[in-house]
Amino acid sequence: MVMRILIIEDDLETNQFVAKGLSQAGHQVSTCADGRDGLFQATGGDFDAIVLDRMLPGLDGLAVVKALRAAGDATPVIMLTAVGGIADRVEGLEGGADDYLVKPFAFSELAARLNALGRRPAARVESPTLTVSGIALDLHRRTVERDGRRIVLQPREFALLAELMRNPGRVMTRTMLLERVWDFDFDPQTNIVETHLSRLRSKLNAGFERDAIETVRGAGYVLRAE
Amino acid sequence: MMLNRFRRSTSGLVTLVALLLGTATAVIGTVAYEVTHEALEQQLDHRIEAEMRSLIAESRGTMPGLTAAIERRSAAQSTSSLDYILLDREGNAIAATIVTDHPAAPGYEEFLHYRRGKANGVAQALTTSLGAGTLIVAADRSGLDEIDRTLMQLFAGALAVTLLMGSVSALLVGWITRRRLARIDATAKAIIAGDFTRRVPVDGSGSEFDRLARTINSMLERINTLLDNLRQVSSDVAHDLRTPLTRLYNRLDDALSGHEAEPQRAAIEAARSEAAELLEIFAALLRIAEIEGMQDRSRRQPVDLTALVEQMGETYAPDFEANGHRFEVDAGPGAVIHGDQRLLNQAVANLLDNALRHTPAGSIVRLVGETDGRTASITVRDDGPGAAVADPSTLFRRFVRVEHARASPGNGLGLALVAAIVSAMGGDARIDSGSGFAVVLTFPTVEVGLKPA
Repeated sequence: MVMRILIIEDDLETNQFVAKGLSQAGHQVSTCADGRDGLFQATGGDFDAIVLDRMLPGLDGLAVVKALRAAGDATPVIMLTAVGGIADRVEGLEGGADDYLVKPFAFSELAARLNALGRRPAARVESPTLTVSGIALDLHRRTVERDGRRIVLQPREFALLAELMRNPGRVMTRTMLLERVWDFDFDPQTNIVETHLSRLRSKLNAGFERDAIETVRGAGYVLRAE
Repeated sequence: MMLNRFRRSTSGLVTLVALLLGTATAVIGTVAYEVTHEALEQQLDHRIEAEMRSLIAESRGTMPGLTAAIERRSAAQSTSSLDYILLDREGNAIAATIVTDHPAAPGYEEFLHYRRGKANGVAQALTTSLGAGTLIVAADRSGLDEIDRTLMQLFAGALAVTLLMGSVSALLVGWITRRRLARIDATAKAIIAGDFTRRVPVDGSGSEFDRLARTINSMLERINTLLDNLRQVSSDVAHDLRTPLTRLYNRLDDALSGHEAEPQRAAIEAARSEAAELLEIFAALLRIAEIEGMQDRSRRQPVDLTALVEQMGETYAPDFEANGHRFEVDAGPGAVIHGDQRLLNQAVANLLDNALRHTPAGSIVRLVGETDGRTASITVRDDGPGAAVADPSTLFRRFVRVEHARASPGNGLGLALVAAIVSAMGGDARIDSGSGFAVVLTFPTVEVGLKPA
């Protein structure tokens, strides 16, 4: 699906890098290098998502997202923060940003996060059961069945599967899974995502032909809806 | 203003106090002099009056009787130094111990000039008219004047002494203050000039100057520690970034010199991973700095340590198993602390990553949560080779690595980050390297029933 994306970023190189990547992915991209202009464009244009730098001349990113939210604009915003900025992240999310990404980042990471954000319903009332291509997951009873067959999972494996099922068809990157499943905002030295995913996969696929979880090389994992 | 300048310097202040004291002394002296003088005069009056009465009573007021009485007193040369003049109606002296040219009107006369032989004098006198003449009883004022003079001298002396002592103490206090301040001044100037080891001399007297000197010294000590730390960190950073930067440079050099596409690509990929490692080091350093500077306690939330231990145990179990370790988790009874869940996750993850990397296959690694009610702790203990360092606590410093760990990946920032996280949450990190290696993180618990502030 083609998205209209606004990039507000004063660093020319990052701006061009993001704009080029998103255009190549088929999105419609508008760019802007100043907070004030950015806010003006964001309120005027009908965007599906905004990529917003935290540090901007004129009006900083936090002020932009706060102004947007105060005006009742719920356009998904992904904020770009400087290295190590723990406080930036918390302030950004509290200020109304939907997601954040620490610089420097891989383009695939930004693309995956934009994908996850852009099509997310504005107010999500989560259903207690998720069903994707024959896999049924009950968040209350904490049970999983595939084609009626009961599968027993460890709590982390369950949370991992739930996160993939909440975003069917969307690539979930390693860092997205670390944040959402493990509440890690750092990259551990060990391959915990890979090991847990391979365990989940073997439990999920035991006795089935089709691999339920697809690995997208260099990007992440996706649960395809049939 | 003059007064202001006086008030602001110590010697000026003391001079001001001395002047005030001098003025007070002068005022008190004047009042005391007046009062004493008045009292003495009154006493003199009383004596004269009493003598007058007794004379008249003795002689029944008759002239011959008075004459006789005056002569008796004159002859006796008694201790009472009173003088008498008895005049008849015409003003001629009938009996007298002194001579006066200007007999006064009846009543008191303070300054009656008289002659006795060749000597002149002034007396206090009481003149009474009798039927047949006039009787004057006089008391010489020289005694009174003497006392007045003595009093005057006394007070003048006191004033002089007060002023003198005031000036001397002003000079002394000023000198002492200047001397003590000069020491602080000299220390400050030496430090400005670059001698960071200089301290303000302390004499142990416990005076306010001494207390100030101690406070200044401990402040300097603290600044020095921070400065040392900063210096250490910057030199560590410079030193430890040189290696990966050199490697990055070499990889890029390789990529440039190669002509075949395949090795060139491999070299670029290697260079990219070097750059990634560098970025990681920067991220870790900045993160440590940010956590160390974290002042905002409002972000702290109650964190269930027991759940955290269980979750981290479950998260790491597959990796330990895959590496052939025995991994035991004991979450212990429930304990809640005040902190940041994500940072605590990172602290425990770093410890588990370390245990995984620095122990051989077959090692036992234990992750234990414990609480005694007031504090709660998380321990990661392994039975691996341990750390061969004299002071294990140095491992919490940036870039410090155990010698045999240098071959394995890692940047020596993991434990520094753990220490920063733990101390930002009011806890304490300790290394226990008896057999194997253990890190114990201790935190104060949130009291049951108390809402965290």
